[in-house]
Amino acid sequence: MAVNKRAAKLVAIGVIVAGTLVVAESRKEYHFAVGPRAGVSVMNPYGSISVRPSLNNTVVVNAILHSDRVEVDNNQNGNRVDIQSHLLAGADADSGRVDYEVLVPADASVTLHSSTGSLRAEKLHGDVSLEGPGAEVNVRDISDAHVHVKTMNGAVNLDNIQNGHVEVDSLSGEVTLTGVNGPLVQVVSTSGRINYIGDFGNSGEYRLTSHSGDIEATIPEGTSADVSARSVRGEVHDDIPLQPKTHNIFPLDKGRAFAGTVGRVAVSSTVVLRSFSGKIHLRKRSEKQ
Amino acid sequence: MNCVELQESLAEVENGSRAEQRAHLRACPACSALVTELNQIVAAASQLQGADEPSPRVWNSIEIALRQEGLIRPQRAARPFVPSFITRWGAARWLVPAAAMLLLAVGLYVRQESLPNRLAKQAAVVASAANPSGLNDDDLLQEVAVNAPAMMPQYQENLRRVNESIRDAQGVVDESPNDEEARRSLMDAYQQKSMLFEMAMDRSLP
Repeated sequence: MAVNKRAAKLVAIGVIVAGTLVVAESRKEYHFAVGPRAGVSVMNPYGSISVRPSLNNTVVVNAILHSDRVEVDNNQNGNRVDIQSHLLAGADADSGRVDYEVLVPADASVTLHSSTGSLRAEKLHGDVSLEGPGAEVNVRDISDAHVHVKTMNGAVNLDNIQNGHVEVDSLSGEVTLTGVNGPLVQVVSTSGRINYIGDFGNSGEYRLTSHSGDIEATIPEGTSADVSARSVRGEVHDDIPLQPKTHNIFPLDKGRAFAGTVGRVAVSSTVVLRSFSGKIHLRKRSEKQ
Repeated sequence: MNCVELQESLAEVENGSRAEQRAHLRACPACSALVTELNQIVAAASQLQGADEPSPRVWNSIEIALRQEGLIRPQRAARPFVPSFITRWGAARWLVPAAAMLLLAVGLYVRQESLPNRLAKQAAVVASAANPSGLNDDDLLQEVAVNAPAMMPQYQENLRRVNESIRDAQGVVDESPNDEEARRSLMDAYQQKSMLFEMAMDRSLP
C-alpha cells in the first residue's frame, strides 16, 4: 500500500513538472505580406532556424520559445522582415532558446544567424546567407542564387545547389558539397575537412582550400575539368588519369602536386585544390555511389 | 568628449580635426594612436594603383563588417528592438572595422610582396598592419569570455589554429615571395582570422 502511495506521489510530481515545462514553453506565429524578392533576416542567439518556401507572397514565422526569458522581436520595413530573439535578464542557453520555422517566398533573400543552433534552408532561389560560430548548416535544393556560409566549427552540408555562387568559410568544421555547381564554388577552411561530390559543372571556378584539413573530390564518369592540386606538406593522390598540361605555374613535385585535364578540354571548369598540410585526393565515383 | 564619442565622430569628420576632437586626442594616447594608424592606412592606400586592388573577398568582408556594425544598414524609424551594437560592445565594437581595415592592409601588403621597390617604400606602414598583434587576441577572448563563456574553448582552439596557419602561410611566402598561390594562402589565412573576429562580434551573440 505504501509503495502504491509513493508511486502515486511520484506520478503527481512528474505531472506537475511536465505541466510547468509546457507552460514555460510557448509558441508564437507571425505573418507578413511581402512583395517579390523580399528580404528576411532571423537573428537567434540560441536555437535552430529552418527556412522553407511558402506558397504565396507571405512570410510566416513559427517560433517556439523555451521560456519567458526570451521574446521575439519582429519588424517589417517595406519588403524587408527582421526577426530577432531578444534575451531578457537571466536568460541562458536553455531558457533563451527559440526554435524557428520560417516560410518565405521562394525568391526571397534570406539571412540567418545563430550561435549554437542548426541552420537550414531549402528549395529557394533567392540569395541565402547563413552564419554562426557553432551552427550546423544544411542547405539543399537551391538554384540560381548566392549561397554564403560562415561557421567556426559547425559542420556544413550543401546538397543540390544548381548554378550557385557559393562561398563557404569554415574554421574547423567539416564541409561537404554534394551536387553543387555554378560559376563560383569556393570553400576556405583552416583545419576542417572538405568533401566535394559532383561533376564540377560546365564552366565554373571551383576552389577548395584547407590549411590542415584533408580535401577529397569525388567525380563521376564524364566530368570535364582542368584540375590542379597542391599540398605544401601533405600528400596528394590522383586516381584518375589526367592529360598533362604543357605549362604549370608551380613545380609538380611528385606526391605533393598534380595538374592536368580530365574529360573534354573544350567544356570544362577550373578546379583548384590547395592545402598546406592536409591530404588531397581526387577520386572517381564508383557506380554504387 | 570621451573615447566612444570621439570614435563615433571619426566617421563624420576625418583626422580628428574638430576642436573637441583635437582636445581629446591630446589627452588620450589610445585614441591618438588609433587615429594615427587610420591615417597611415589611408596614406598607404592612396599610393596604390588599380592593379593592387585586393580580391572581391576583401571588399565582401568589409561590407559584411560594416553591415554588422549597422553603418550601411537602412535606418529604422521605430526604436531599435535589439540593444544597439554600440551599447552592447562599447569601445570593443571597433574591433570589427579594425579587423576589416587590418584585412585590407594585409591584402595590400600581400599584393605588394611582388613589387619589391614599393615594398621598400612602404615597409614601415605595412609592417605594423601585417603584424597579427594589431588584432589583439586577448581582447577578443576577453569579449568572448564575457558574452559567450560557453564557447570560450572553441574560440581559443580556433584562434590557435588560425594563428598557426598564418605562420605557416607566411613561411611559404618568405620562402617563395613570387609564388602567387602562397600569397593567396596567406590572404586566406588572414581572412579566416578576420572571420573569427567578426563572429566574436556577432550580433546574434547574447
